[in-house]
Amino acid sequence: MRIAAGVDVGSTQAKAVIMSDNGGLKILGRALVDTGANVQRAAERAFDSCCQAADLRTGDVGMVVGTGYGRYKIAFGNTQMTEITCHAKGASFLCPGTRTVIDMGGQDSKAISVGASGEVLDFVMNDKCAAGTGRFLANSAEVMGISLDEVGPLSLQAKHPVKIATVCTVFVESDILSYLAQGKTAEDVLGGVHIAIAKRTLSLARRLNIEPEITMTGGVARNIGMVWALETVLGKKMQVSPDAQYMGAVGAALFGLEKLDQSFETGVWRGDHAVSGGH
Amino acid sequence: MAEKKEYRGSIHQRQKELMLTWYDKLNQAAETGNPPTVSMMISGNCVELLEGFGAVPIYPEVNALQLAIRHQSLDPILAAEELGYAADNCAYVKADIGCILKGITPTEGKLPTPTLILCNFVGCNTYLKWFEHTAKLQKAPLYVIDVPFMRADEPTLADVDYVVKQLQETVKKLEQLTGRKFDYDRFQQAVECSSRTEELWSQIKHLARRRPSPFDAYFDAITLMGPLYVYRAKPEGVEFFEAALAELQSKCDAGKGVYEQEHFRVVMEGPPPYPYFRTFRDMFAKWQACAVASTYSTVGGLWEFGFRHDPAKPFESVAMHMIAQNVTNRNYLQRYEQIRRYVEDWNADGVIIHFVKSCRLFSAGQGDMRDYFTKQLGVPTLYIESDLEDPRYFAEAQTRNRIDAFFESLEHAKATASVRSA
Amino acid sequence: MNKLERTFDICSGLDFPTVSEWKQIHPGGKAIAYFPVYAPTELIHAAGMLPVGLSGAGDRLDIQHADARFGSFICSIVKTTLEMGLTGRLDPFDGFLFSTICDSARNLCFVMKRNFPNMYVDFLHLPHNPSSPAAAQFLVNEYRRVLAELERLAGRTVSDDALRNSIVLYNRNRALIRELYRLRTLRPQQIPTWELYQLVRMGNFLPVEEHSAQLEAALAGFQSRPAKPRDSIRIAVEGSFCEQPPLTLIRLIEDAGCYIVDDDFVIGQSWFDSDVPADGDPVQALASSYLDRSVYSSVRHDFRKPRWDGLVEKVRRTRADAVLFLIAKFCEPAYFDYVPYKEELERAGIPHLQLEFEEKSFTFDRLRTEIETFVESLIFD
Repeated sequence: MRIAAGVDVGSTQAKAVIMSDNGGLKILGRALVDTGANVQRAAERAFDSCCQAADLRTGDVGMVVGTGYGRYKIAFGNTQMTEITCHAKGASFLCPGTRTVIDMGGQDSKAISVGASGEVLDFVMNDKCAAGTGRFLANSAEVMGISLDEVGPLSLQAKHPVKIATVCTVFVESDILSYLAQGKTAEDVLGGVHIAIAKRTLSLARRLNIEPEITMTGGVARNIGMVWALETVLGKKMQVSPDAQYMGAVGAALFGLEKLDQSFETGVWRGDHAVSGGH
Repeated sequence: MAEKKEYRGSIHQRQKELMLTWYDKLNQAAETGNPPTVSMMISGNCVELLEGFGAVPIYPEVNALQLAIRHQSLDPILAAEELGYAADNCAYVKADIGCILKGITPTEGKLPTPTLILCNFVGCNTYLKWFEHTAKLQKAPLYVIDVPFMRADEPTLADVDYVVKQLQETVKKLEQLTGRKFDYDRFQQAVECSSRTEELWSQIKHLARRRPSPFDAYFDAITLMGPLYVYRAKPEGVEFFEAALAELQSKCDAGKGVYEQEHFRVVMEGPPPYPYFRTFRDMFAKWQACAVASTYSTVGGLWEFGFRHDPAKPFESVAMHMIAQNVTNRNYLQRYEQIRRYVEDWNADGVIIHFVKSCRLFSAGQGDMRDYFTKQLGVPTLYIESDLEDPRYFAEAQTRNRIDAFFESLEHAKATASVRSA
Repeated sequence: MNKLERTFDICSGLDFPTVSEWKQIHPGGKAIAYFPVYAPTELIHAAGMLPVGLSGAGDRLDIQHADARFGSFICSIVKTTLEMGLTGRLDPFDGFLFSTICDSARNLCFVMKRNFPNMYVDFLHLPHNPSSPAAAQFLVNEYRRVLAELERLAGRTVSDDALRNSIVLYNRNRALIRELYRLRTLRPQQIPTWELYQLVRMGNFLPVEEHSAQLEAALAGFQSRPAKPRDSIRIAVEGSFCEQPPLTLIRLIEDAGCYIVDDDFVIGQSWFDSDVPADGDPVQALASSYLDRSVYSSVRHDFRKPRWDGLVEKVRRTRADAVLFLIAKFCEPAYFDYVPYKEELERAGIPHLQLEFEEKSFTFDRLRTEIETFVESLIFD
């Protein structure tokens, strides 16, 4: 039985997934930790927790594939790939028929055009600023004194969502305060914020051909208000897996299994990808 | 470990010497008032005209990029911003203004106040403001050659006539300012030199069609480009490009490419992030991706499609170059066409669009360009963003991430194709 | 909402209702939209077509498609114009005319060309070297080129008489605008800018004859309006020549204690400082007027006389106390010119404030605070 792990080290959270291929692909365990200041340690903690969750020893894992911004810092990893490639792969596996991935993470968002085998055909990214990312939501929540978990459900109760013109996380704060001062309800303000983010994200995604099935990945996928806002603006239903946050790690683990299987021998696995301190 | 190869033959050294000699001449002009100097923009420049006066060109863009490559562009940019220039103004302009304010030059030498600030307006509206501002700052005379924009496939006779008339007015102006008579014969010889330099440069560009390409038509072309603006109309330029062609031709004959193995061939669109030139190059070197063509290397003239200066019609052909044969005065759809031709005739695997914040001429609308290549032509295209001069606008990890994801995808496509054909 | 605002609201509707109305009255008639700042509307009018000035979509449109084509650091008007096109709102038009105002606008022209291949999309090269004796002939040729395209589109030729007639009509329109501006400078209490602005800007949407009639009526109305002068700061607004500030912002400036005694809002409407000659060769008249009768602007280059001198002169002529640079976010020409403008104002001891706006804004608290602070600083100086 082949066992591989995917470790996705993002700027805010590190995720690990262990999968096996024993006549069928299966997820054996998952783990999620806050990244904190030390990326390498976060990767290790995620991996160790995941092994525990899967009831395995670290040595049982035949291949570790790193992904995410911290992928070069995963010293114990065998190789790495970008999270774009991994999200496409993971989404394809967990949500069959995926042709478009919309990933909204803590600090960046992206849209990916995916082929029938989970390969990346095209992608667009917003990695320059927080507009359309989890950070925008977190900031808005903080300004309003509401917990991040509540913003989604509250936004669904908006009767007259306010109009938010700016996509700048910093400037939206004064917009929010302005509206609250005018007497708008928190629900209406949050409704407006969610719609603004949805519009911004879909604007980005439209640079590709948005084709169904559309799968949402990343931490923000847990926000039901965001899912609803995206579906409303897009006019189409999206697939959201309960493992949305683990998509990158799942994809990485799948690549790990393929590598073990030697079914994917390409130049991508050249030695220069294996980390010894990164580039 | 990733390959960090680049073309560093003997002509690389010669290129450096030529550029240093040029800066020496400018220093001499600053100290003695001779020779006369004329400030110009690189794109659509009429350096041949200067030969008729023995005048030496000043290229503020070259000064700016030199500073950026040496990681010295931030200080002058900040000085310009203190004066009131906005974050969104072109950083080339800010760097140049900052240098004038602070007396900074790219070399140890001085730069003269130009005898004439000659704004060759070829599409870039920023050029106009830039030169107006430096004329005000340096209290130097200004003349604007208004070059009609390529709004149709070809320039009209009226377009050419308008530019020719302005070139002749420029000649009169320079006679007044330099006290020298325009030497028509020297001008004609200069045009002849140009035609030869252009032929050589064109042949060099065409060498990149081979597999493997003997040089990187973006990074190496940019390094080799300097003599094209400064020495195009001089015998030194002809010699330089003769040597360059010979060296690259012999590389070609030996089947040598830029890397051990040329893995990917790309067309690059947009200026480079000069403050991170090296780093940026390495991001492509890691994938053994070689640029086989680039639009930015045609700012100084589009020579690979057959146009040459014509010594039999010196004024007219100088005008034609300024109107139709440089990338900035050509319209956006002509740029799409240029890139498409490169993809097809130079056999590229994909297009890299580098959006630079400073330059709207290059960058405004690159999303539509991407749309054209991906959706209409099905050509894999990568979109990355930074700036050409301002070191504050480069996100290394994010840029590397996008580049890696792009080549991962191309790699998988190749692997799938070879598995299928096996 | 009063009658003026309602009219303005209708006219500036995103689906260009005035164009559909006009087409109903003129079956087979064609409408040509022009992007700011200046366009030789007489050419379009003389060809029997309706010229309509585009000014972006203000705060009425979400950009959902256009920012895939034009990324960050580009002004909103370029994107909202393309968005209107991509969402079918520019369907009432038969052609678009762009000109050499800036790099972003110029690239927009060719992006539109690609995306609307069946439209007439043209780019007018307005001269940037009026000091050259060859410029006039060049512009004559350029105008004739565009005129030939318009004739082709209209299916008829344009006689010199027809063109002269159009010049007369537009002269009248420009003269009325100049008169309104002159009256406002003299007695700003009688002509609030938020009203004047809407009146002038309606010229973007209406046939010139109709617009002139409205302006005449408005002028009479203003002249007879009783109004007491307030203790306000007289300011000249500079920099809003293309993307337009929200009306709310203009009102806010006045409410904060300012009289706007001059501005460059929709300056293309009153581009000439005097009448274009209506005798002789009309194309020559238009061309030479562009070269020698145009007001100064950040989108026009004439190194015979620096624009910053023009600004200082304007401030003196209108007895403005200060200049408000009201610049659209990412507007390259305005931001560049700000530096020499500021320098000359400082040399002349004229106070100034720079503010940035976007056509699409819903909250104005920050801007209000800055303007109020500025006004206070001038009052209590």
